[in-house]
Amino acid sequence: MNKKELLAIAQHWFTNQGWKPFPFQKKAWDAYLKGENGLLNAPTGSGKTYALWVPIVLEYLKKNPDYKTKHQKGLKAIWITPLRALSVEIAQAASRFAEETQSGLTVGIRTGDTSQKERAAQKKAMPDLLITTPESLHLLLSSKNYPKLFKNLNAIVVDEWHELLGSKRGVQTELALSRLKTVAKNLKIWGISATIGNLDQAREVLLGAKSEALQHSTLIKANIQKKIEVKSIIPESMEKFPWRGHLGLHLLDEVVPIINNSKTTLIFTNTRSQCELWFQKLMNKYPEFAGEVAMHHGSINKETRLWVEQAIRNESLKAVICTSSLDLGVDFAPVETIIQIGGPKGVARFLQRAGRSGHQPGKASRIYFLPTHAIELIEASALQKAVEKKAVEDRIPYLQSFDVLVQYLTTLAVSDGFYPKEIYPEIKSTFCFQGLTDEEWRWCLNFITKGSQSLQTYDEYKKVEIEDDGKFKVNQRGVAMRHRLQIGTIVSDAMLTVKYVKGGFIGTIEEWFVSKLSPGDVFTFAGRNLELSRIKGMQVLVRKSKKKTAKVPSWMGGRMAFSAQMSELLREELYEAAESFTVTSSGVEKSPELKALQPILERQQLESIIPKHNEFLIETFKTREGYHAIFYPFEGRFVHEALGSLLAYRISLLSPISFSIAFNDYGFELLSDQEIDMQQLLDNDLFSAKFLMDDLYKSLNATEMARRKFRDIAVIAGLVFTGYPNKLIKSKHLQSSSQLLFDVFRDYEDDNLLFQQAFRETFEHQLEEGRLRQALERIHQQKIVWKSCQKPTPFSFPIITDRLREKLSSEKLEDRIQRMLKQFEK
Amino acid sequence: MSLITIQNNHFQLACSGVSYWEEQKALLVADVHLGKISHFRKHGSAVPPTAIQTNFDRLDQAVAQFQPQKIIFLGDLFHSALNAEWNLFENWLQNQQAKIILIAGNHDIISPLHYTQLGVEIYQELWLENFRLTHHPEEKEGSFNICGHIHPGYRLVGLAKQHLKLKCFFRSKNQLILPAFGEFTGTFLMNPEAEDQVFVCAKTEVIRVN
Repeated sequence: MNKKELLAIAQHWFTNQGWKPFPFQKKAWDAYLKGENGLLNAPTGSGKTYALWVPIVLEYLKKNPDYKTKHQKGLKAIWITPLRALSVEIAQAASRFAEETQSGLTVGIRTGDTSQKERAAQKKAMPDLLITTPESLHLLLSSKNYPKLFKNLNAIVVDEWHELLGSKRGVQTELALSRLKTVAKNLKIWGISATIGNLDQAREVLLGAKSEALQHSTLIKANIQKKIEVKSIIPESMEKFPWRGHLGLHLLDEVVPIINNSKTTLIFTNTRSQCELWFQKLMNKYPEFAGEVAMHHGSINKETRLWVEQAIRNESLKAVICTSSLDLGVDFAPVETIIQIGGPKGVARFLQRAGRSGHQPGKASRIYFLPTHAIELIEASALQKAVEKKAVEDRIPYLQSFDVLVQYLTTLAVSDGFYPKEIYPEIKSTFCFQGLTDEEWRWCLNFITKGSQSLQTYDEYKKVEIEDDGKFKVNQRGVAMRHRLQIGTIVSDAMLTVKYVKGGFIGTIEEWFVSKLSPGDVFTFAGRNLELSRIKGMQVLVRKSKKKTAKVPSWMGGRMAFSAQMSELLREELYEAAESFTVTSSGVEKSPELKALQPILERQQLESIIPKHNEFLIETFKTREGYHAIFYPFEGRFVHEALGSLLAYRISLLSPISFSIAFNDYGFELLSDQEIDMQQLLDNDLFSAKFLMDDLYKSLNATEMARRKFRDIAVIAGLVFTGYPNKLIKSKHLQSSSQLLFDVFRDYEDDNLLFQQAFRETFEHQLEEGRLRQALERIHQQKIVWKSCQKPTPFSFPIITDRLREKLSSEKLEDRIQRMLKQFEK
Repeated sequence: MSLITIQNNHFQLACSGVSYWEEQKALLVADVHLGKISHFRKHGSAVPPTAIQTNFDRLDQAVAQFQPQKIIFLGDLFHSALNAEWNLFENWLQNQQAKIILIAGNHDIISPLHYTQLGVEIYQELWLENFRLTHHPEEKEGSFNICGHIHPGYRLVGLAKQHLKLKCFFRSKNQLILPAFGEFTGTFLMNPEAEDQVFVCAKTEVIRVN
């Protein structure tokens, strides 16, 4: 069959469905059949699955002309997806085309949800297309004789690549690809990505820096324009509107008419606990919604989640309260409206969520923004502009993630073993490890074999062994088993399963929340009030409770920060507000959000100022808690965290002092029991960008941040064992807190690459060095306005009441203790 | 350092977490957890091996400071089954002048025979005059209990949302709980009543805070 005949098969199938292929689909077919690799930039619901699955099938038909009678066995294509929930959709779409073209190709799924039995069956006879996650793919690489499984592989498609790109799962994908490129000779690699700022780089990361695959590749853009309507939900009276808080429940009633006026509404919250609370409150106040409103988040059990997803599809639900768990993938045609509760923190995320609605051709996506506190109204106003400009963020790929590399090397040692000479060039060809030096490589090999760089007497370290012919291999069954259980880069707290005493699985919950409960306590979970009966092993046994008040689990997990784009939009919005405030007669129409904010802005202006674009505002005041100094760079949480600790550190050099530091997306606070000499601070030019990194490194706070990064690194690199599933038995002796481990490394092995990686990640991904420098430069251009205020101002309120804080002290420990004791006696 | 008096006996409390009982010329040490690092390494977790020596160095410092006639370990001397750190312990023992006594704790699963072969006396509990030395806290009428096991710690709170978490000695009416001596061990936060005494271990001093 020639190419024309092949394409006719696809065309014919499309016509039978009553569809017409999009230009981008045809382009992708063509490029794939030419043997090219590439990146497809297409939004969800645009038919992206068929853009790549079709040519994979066609390639098979071409190679096997008698396909209708004779099926060529073995794995031909892998479809990697970041979310298990998406795999079913993809499988359905793929099967449909495979069957109706009589290709004889089979489709299978292999994820964490796949049963042991099915996995075993797959090992014996692989489906032609395997839909899987990066973790499950690595698990396949940890099985004996894995090269045999992959040798006839023609294609790997990485779906939602933008999601994986900015995380260590992206690194994991890069490493798997580097191996499969060698094992499978005729491999084509394709990625599918939503619109992000750095699409070209996304392609380079996927295919490998300067790789042959990259040279034979193409970028295809779907260019589907969609209209997005954004509306803010504005409270009628501002008096009752809180200055802080992140739940937004005071606007509960405003949401009801929106739900009633739309076929299906998705209500996005930023955290799982917020999701639980919204669901509970909505059901309490509007019981008529029972059965029509559901909840969806990552900790709810799989069956319930799947049920909810199915119920959205067949239009049996009016609304679903959800978290980022419904951000991705699947199309829900009936969804007409989206409500975003609280700031989405990034333009791309907001657009993505908006795009979940209005899938019928010609229909616009409709999204409501529900602010949770007053200042967020400025955010709402900024988001409107962001949508117009489509200012989307970059996804920054990880570099030199030694933790993932160490895990991957152990994975290879667990399966067939590896020879460093063979693997090294593959690893060097990835984007992540293009800068890997020989020395660092040797370090990694030493780490997995000796557990350190120097051999000690009496050492019994056992992990990877070097066999006589130079093969690196794991021979201990226990080591291999523990490693397999721990493959992956998503680190969470130990999870306990929640079950009824009489049986019935409800979901999973983090250990640290449960550890705060005693039997008899009532907590809200999966929309139900549950009474803790007892904890048995890794199971939390509960009963239904009729009590009204209950504790709500707060799932940990980082708070999101403003992206650079979002901060800039916010600053512009604020400066505009300030200008319009002074020039009363200006003809510019104010946005409804800013109009609603008027009373709060007036009060801010009265007690302090609203900074204009050439002004940098600092406020100081005293309360019962101590002396507050608030700085307003409007640069987003992460930058503020860095600036806060930088400034605290520099002030602490002038004289012994202890600080508690708080920060949000608008500014940061230094709180102390001693008065801060602001004039001295200004005279000493403490905002200088000189010695920036050095000072940050020395500030205790950077160490604290690195400590938190290290937690994940230690688990990924196999330093900390997180336990056997559902068993506490015997694993307890091998569990240790990564906190203690961090201290041991700091004191005894601070040149350890994994320890250093914790700091590097802190500076690159958390403190965002680049943005920090830009912020300092901008502040340098501005006029510093220091306002000594009588009491907390509206702008300061959300910051000073934040309980998540950092600490920094230059006082002697003994002095601090004595002073605390004295304060206590007063 | 801090000196406390219990039933006319004098106890010095040191920042390292040890206590020196003057009348008995005895050094009291709780929860050293030797062998923990080797245990991790044996199972493939690459904890820095150089950290192993520290516990022995710190023990040597305490011995040099007080010159005791007896060293009494209040349980959990070894964290794990027999491993390479036992050899280091053996070496350390050979250099000791004092008599070595171990009150067995829940982690001490190494056979007592191994200890007695090295001349270490091992007990479930030990009475010295009216003092009862145990691993687990056990209060009994008419005696004063000295023990470990808990790894006591204390949280100090100050103005401007400041707080500190430090390991501590915890004294109640009939009991003194020692902090864990070992590196690479955690702490358990105590909630003292008004009549309890808490002594936190700072860098160079032991300070009474409750």
